[in-house]
Amino acid sequence: MASLSRGPIIDCDVHPTPRSMDEIRSYMKQPWKDRYSGGGRGFYGNPLHGARLDAKPPNGGPIGSDPEFVRQQLIEEYGHKHAILLPRAFCNLHPDPDFASAIAAAFNDWLADTWLGKHNPDGVFKGSITIAHQDPQAAAKEIERWAGHPHFVQVMTDSGARAPFGQRQYYPIYEACEKYGLPLAIHPGTDGMGINIQPTPGYPTHYIEWHTCLSLGFQSHLVSFLTEGVFEKFPNFKVVLTEGGVAWLPALMWRLDAEYKALRYEVPWVKRKPSEYLKDHVRITSQPLERPDNDEHLLQVLEMMDAENILMFASDYPHWDFDSPKLAFPKLPDALRNRIFYENAKQFYNL
Amino acid sequence: MRHEICYVKDLPMGANKIMTLEGRSVGVFNVNGEFYALKNSCPHQGAPLCVGTVTGMTLPSKPGEYLYGKEGEIVRCPWHGWEFDILTGKSIYDPHKCLVKTYDVAVEKVEEEIAVETYKVKVEEEKVIVYI
Repeated sequence: MASLSRGPIIDCDVHPTPRSMDEIRSYMKQPWKDRYSGGGRGFYGNPLHGARLDAKPPNGGPIGSDPEFVRQQLIEEYGHKHAILLPRAFCNLHPDPDFASAIAAAFNDWLADTWLGKHNPDGVFKGSITIAHQDPQAAAKEIERWAGHPHFVQVMTDSGARAPFGQRQYYPIYEACEKYGLPLAIHPGTDGMGINIQPTPGYPTHYIEWHTCLSLGFQSHLVSFLTEGVFEKFPNFKVVLTEGGVAWLPALMWRLDAEYKALRYEVPWVKRKPSEYLKDHVRITSQPLERPDNDEHLLQVLEMMDAENILMFASDYPHWDFDSPKLAFPKLPDALRNRIFYENAKQFYNL
Repeated sequence: MRHEICYVKDLPMGANKIMTLEGRSVGVFNVNGEFYALKNSCPHQGAPLCVGTVTGMTLPSKPGEYLYGKEGEIVRCPWHGWEFDILTGKSIYDPHKCLVKTYDVAVEKVEEEIAVETYKVKVEEEKVIVYI
């Protein structure tokens, strides 16, 4: 195991779960309190199991709902310095923007009181502000409500959307993110659900197809951010692509840079080769890390994508496709390992 | 080395038991009356394999056809869901390259002296034995 689990870790994708939906409801006003009944992303439940079977808290409650057990099974087990928490509110699929915003706000209040509050005396847990992107103005206000909180380090949204994220209707969100120094994390979920468009030609039949193709939405959002000039308009705005896959990035950037040589004409606000914006504006988290049979091939991809500067480790605990800090990666050079597992996130989130 | 695990009657069909033997965690399974032992560590990322679901599997079939079989002969890793044949330790997706260590298991009659009040009684019972 030499060098596989050395050094500090910041884990950029950990999922806390409410003990019950009543816990979320307790933070809601009427009429939402009576109306809210939880609910996930809809289709595409994992046919095997959706979460690690050994992650059931011994004292009861849903998987991921016991902060003390998460400390034991993840934080202490692997020596995490910080875990970035991304709750799954699934509010981005609702047609009613007010309902969606109420769900987002309740999740934020809950997270602030519990995982970021009474269960966080040492500050190991850092959180994400859930927003409903159906209503960008309301989302911006929600971001403002939490600005300056010591443990909220980013804003988060599902990848599911009605339009690619570079489009201007979303700009109030990015303006607020920039103003308060909070990156926007995009996490898979609610693609093709409720009001959101499915980023494949139609609905895939199987979970294996759906799960493999989650990266398609991310690719579309990233190309949209770059070509719409979002990083020119908001020069301090940053994006984290969480759980969208990793190894596709170099090929997509080669393609986009190639197109840019002539089609720059169409998007004259894009001042640099699109790929050159990544280092300043985009981070990508490692899980689910692709593992080709030949480790050397992955190491080459990491070099191609500038992993040294833009890749941040994530485990996705406690979900079924958890990447172990010890064994998810092949052996890495020490300096690169430290960048991916710790330094990149430390700098990015100012931890 | 020989390790007495338990009485046969205490490990019924479909049940399994996880023990630490010689410093390593081992899962002992009763599959339809036969006993098998696997190392309790998935060769993928080291998850506690034997904590996983004991189940059957969809057998190779034509597109659109479902054949379910090997009921009770498969353990599915509790993390990433990789399937292993409990009888052989071999993974389903690549039995040649991905497999978990197995151990020999025997059922042996064991004589035990049990003190019942002042009388000594000899009892012969079958026990599950793992050889490492």
